Amino acid sequence: MNRRQFLGNMLKTACGVGLVGLGLGAYSKRASSMPANYIRPPGALPEEDFLGACIRCGLCVRDCPYDILFLGEVGDEVATGTPYFIARSGPCEMCEDIPCVVACPTNALDHELKDIEESRMGLAVVIDQENCIAFHGLRCEVCFNVCPIRGRAISLDMQHNTRSGKHALFIPVVHSEACTAVDCVNVPAFWKRLPSRSFRCIWQKASWASITVWAGRRKTKRARHWSHPTPSIVTTYPKGCVTTCKVKV
Amino acid sequence: MNICSLIVHTKPTTGPLVSERLQTFHGVEVHGGSEEDKLIVTVEDEGETVSPVSDKMNALRDVEGVVNTVLIYHYGGEESMEEMNREIN
Amino acid sequence: MKLTRRDFIKSNAVAAAASVAGVTLPITNAAAADADDGIRWDKAACRYCGTGCSVLMGVKDGKVVASQGDPDAPVNKGLNCIKGYFLPKILYGEDRLTKPLLRKTNGKYDKNGKFEAVSWDEAFKTMAEKWVAARKAKGPKGIGMFGSGQWTVWEGYAASKLLKAGFRSNSLEPNARHCMASAVGAFMRGFGIDEPMGCYDDLEHADTFVLWGANMAEMHPILWSRLTDTRLTKPGCEVHVLSTYEHRCYELADNGMVFEPQTDLAILNYIANYIIQNKAYNKEFIDKHVNFTKTPTDIGYGLRATDPREKAAKNRNKGKLSKISFEEYAKSVEPYTLEHTSKLSKVPKDKLLRLAKAYADPKKKVSSYWTMGFNQHTRGVWVNGLCYNVHLLMGKIAEPGNSPFSLTGQPSACGTAREVGTFTHRLPADLVTKKDAHCKFAEKTWKLPAGTIPRANGKSDDADQSDISGKPMGKTLIHAVAMHRALKDGKMNTFWVMCNNNMQAAANMNDESLPGWRNPDNFITVSDPYPTVSAQAADLILPTAMWIEKEGAYGNAERRTQFWREQVSAPGESKSDVWQLMEFSKYIKVEDVWPADLIAKKPEYEGKTLYEILYTNGQVDKFPAEQVTDSRGNKYNNHESADFGYYVQKGLFEEYRLFNSAEGIPKKGHEMAEFDAYHKARGLRWPVINGKETLWRFREGYDPHVAKGEGVKFYGKPDGRANIITAPYEPAAEPPDKEFDLWLCTGRVLEHWHSGSMTRRVPELYRAVPDAVIYMNPKDAKKRKLRNGALAKISSRRGEIVCKIDTKGRNKCPVGLVFVPWFDAGRLVNKLTLDQTDPLSKETDYKKCAVKISRA
Repeated sequence: MNRRQFLGNMLKTACGVGLVGLGLGAYSKRASSMPANYIRPPGALPEEDFLGACIRCGLCVRDCPYDILFLGEVGDEVATGTPYFIARSGPCEMCEDIPCVVACPTNALDHELKDIEESRMGLAVVIDQENCIAFHGLRCEVCFNVCPIRGRAISLDMQHNTRSGKHALFIPVVHSEACTAVDCVNVPAFWKRLPSRSFRCIWQKASWASITVWAGRRKTKRARHWSHPTPSIVTTYPKGCVTTCKVKV
Repeated sequence: MNICSLIVHTKPTTGPLVSERLQTFHGVEVHGGSEEDKLIVTVEDEGETVSPVSDKMNALRDVEGVVNTVLIYHYGGEESMEEMNREIN
Repeated sequence: MKLTRRDFIKSNAVAAAASVAGVTLPITNAAAADADDGIRWDKAACRYCGTGCSVLMGVKDGKVVASQGDPDAPVNKGLNCIKGYFLPKILYGEDRLTKPLLRKTNGKYDKNGKFEAVSWDEAFKTMAEKWVAARKAKGPKGIGMFGSGQWTVWEGYAASKLLKAGFRSNSLEPNARHCMASAVGAFMRGFGIDEPMGCYDDLEHADTFVLWGANMAEMHPILWSRLTDTRLTKPGCEVHVLSTYEHRCYELADNGMVFEPQTDLAILNYIANYIIQNKAYNKEFIDKHVNFTKTPTDIGYGLRATDPREKAAKNRNKGKLSKISFEEYAKSVEPYTLEHTSKLSKVPKDKLLRLAKAYADPKKKVSSYWTMGFNQHTRGVWVNGLCYNVHLLMGKIAEPGNSPFSLTGQPSACGTAREVGTFTHRLPADLVTKKDAHCKFAEKTWKLPAGTIPRANGKSDDADQSDISGKPMGKTLIHAVAMHRALKDGKMNTFWVMCNNNMQAAANMNDESLPGWRNPDNFITVSDPYPTVSAQAADLILPTAMWIEKEGAYGNAERRTQFWREQVSAPGESKSDVWQLMEFSKYIKVEDVWPADLIAKKPEYEGKTLYEILYTNGQVDKFPAEQVTDSRGNKYNNHESADFGYYVQKGLFEEYRLFNSAEGIPKKGHEMAEFDAYHKARGLRWPVINGKETLWRFREGYDPHVAKGEGVKFYGKPDGRANIITAPYEPAAEPPDKEFDLWLCTGRVLEHWHSGSMTRRVPELYRAVPDAVIYMNPKDAKKRKLRNGALAKISSRRGEIVCKIDTKGRNKCPVGLVFVPWFDAGRLVNKLTLDQTDPLSKETDYKKCAVKISRA
């Protein structure tokens, strides 16, 4: 039973299950458009125009030098044959010559886009200040460090830490005028407030992502942090992390 | 396996009663909300190939006192049950 | 409490539904239940850098389940960096080693065999045989041990005893040789006593901060947040940053300068010249507290003697100081005019002038910070000293806010490597093997016959020390880089690497380290929790209990000694370093390593093992094993006490205190509190006298060693005066040329620590920064038809690796220089680096060699 089959089943019973209220809004929209973490390639027209212009040729996918683009398949939550990428697993590398746009025969990926930093694939949002460890004064800044529009899309707002009295806070701030939302790795945050101490890292607690990506900023109010599964927790260190080094004997 | 969460709206003041009725279903858990007559319910299966989840959700609607059910969250993964039940911390 | 992936997803599902419905749930579901119940909390010093943050470890059912920064710690006040946040995960990497592994073929040790699990007994028997044979055949330098600034205090101490007293060999070096040796050299030459005079409180007291080759923003993240806070909240505070490329500190810099590699020597001399020309110096301070000296020049680059650059050096390895007058000193810095220095360093004149003015302003308190930019430098001792020159000229030293401060990179580079003295030339508490009297004091303290400890020159009371090899001892000192050379040349045959990853760290791996380790004559042992690059290149791997799997102590950069208790048990058969050192000593009979005439001086030692002589000597085994408890009555294990039958850590520490805190010691100034006091305090900064720590040394009112009315006294020197040591600019060993046209600088990133053997096993950190990249100027990249993210081959005269290019990342290199971090075991940047050292400190320069880059 995979997601596709499940959704098929769901369609059958859709009449039976009343889709009302906020749940209805969230669900029905998802069924007709992309999940929030699926992002169109740089230069993509507004979603409706894009779907009209894209001829599902796959040339952009072919020309992506980093193989991060996929084509939607039957049953996917993205229109079949249209290109997308998932920032969490394979972010856009932001090539200066934008080969995917060059490859597009129909202007579904806008050929006017010459500077990759002008692309607007989505917008990063700090969704969970309570769990973002930077707000507690910890030196994390992973989002800032991986952001390819360095210093402009995400900047660090340095403030006095009133709690410790002698440290500074380095608060990440997203600037919508510069953000293309391609590579903001979300840092699992484990913070939980406890009455006795200021805060603690609880290992048994799983994570919310503190920063997420809202795709297609022209269509807002779609993604909420609860509406897509939280990234799975990696319990083993990744393959090749150390053993890639072969010492000759 | 599939894990879903739903909001089950009940007739006024019947929350606790309906909650008890729902608990009798296999794989269904009520997590709260009986005071507000909006039950927070999860439905899960044991990794069967043909999911009973959607059937179960249908069945819930027919329980006495239920006004409506709203699907909020769905997780559908292809991991083995062993994987799902392994400790992650 | 158990939590499965299933529970976790379910709790997410519930939370989502609850938030939509606007229902507040009672906390009953699995993931939201408070896991605090039954967790035992206790303090520990962070495992990573020299900052010395304190962390709280939450243990339940024998596992660390929670952690947080220690709110009561003065250094970090409950804060952490991202590494510290995920700290306990370093214990639980999937590939922890649990059994000793020996290379074998057909059941017998074979250098070219495959690793097979063996018992500790077999491991130590094999090792002992090799060690005794090498010691007998090749003399004191035939064996070697390479330890660590990450050793706990007593591990370093036990190692020092085993090598220097037991094996009668000075072939003991820590990885701090690659890290802090230049700083030590300058402290000893300048002040006669090691380690900074100031402390972290200077971060709040200073008006002006100058960073010299220290990327504090990433390498000392919590100290940087303190510095940043002062910059934000103190009116008039300014930050000057100098480096050979732009790094994260430049985000805060009021005056950011990128200089041509090696010209820091010139810039510091320019500042001294500016101060003198403008008569801004503190005449009274100079007259009372300073001597002027000069050091020999043209001293080579610490390469093999056969290298043409060494043959060309006039004063190879020389460093004897000679006195000069103030006028001579002034003349020596005269050539470093603003014009000349700006041209040489490529730093704009206005920026240099602003920097010089900051130092010269008598009203501003200036703190200078440096780390590897100064220390990993072929003129490291010089450049450290040149910075002290500027501070001493102004009298801006040893008082709140006025502080030249050498930051350390390792958690106990100070506490263990330097204070215990696990260097070839050192003994505990600043004593040295060069001095017969110091060795005699150590022999008395350790209850050894006179003449046991090998002198630097092999002579005690002007007579040759006799040796088990039958030949005279001869010269006994051998530094870290020379050890790898000796292994390659077959002069050293056994080598034990503990608590570090030297195959990934030591420069010029292809030409020196790897051939040395794989030399068929040699037997290499590596003690490590994980199968690191070093472990893979060894012949015997010993599984090691790490960090809080043993009772430990670290000493940070501000002289703060911090203790922790054993929090959890190590997996499998892993044993701590101290256990390994002591247990191994049971396999060595004194007759195997001492000549008969030496044993004859202490006949009661006949037939004994080194274990009995060194550790059950009535001092180390003085304290009976006890149940370790904290003030709240929580109980803790202590595996070493259980195995040896006495409180090992306490015995070792209290014997160590005989060197730094007892009556009649040769070198005062390193006093420490007794063992139990440290388990109660959040660390104490030495000298600790009458239970009181010392924040600023050498200054009356702060340092109890300075008597009333003396004001300032540099008591490390016999005349109480510090040395200003003049030294000129000299070029680097391997500047770029036509073929190898770029400077290569190596270093770290915030998310990973050192060789990454721990941090790369933390999934979150690995994900944040998975691989090493080449930070490069976009113009340089374009010239080579490379773009951001492209794979490139970077090669030097010694090797090549392939990395992705990063032209937009955190480090912004000037044209002509690239930066590659060294944490990545898959991209060993030490294949490229040159095994050049400061000829005085013997510390490797990892910051400057020539490379070329092309498309891969």
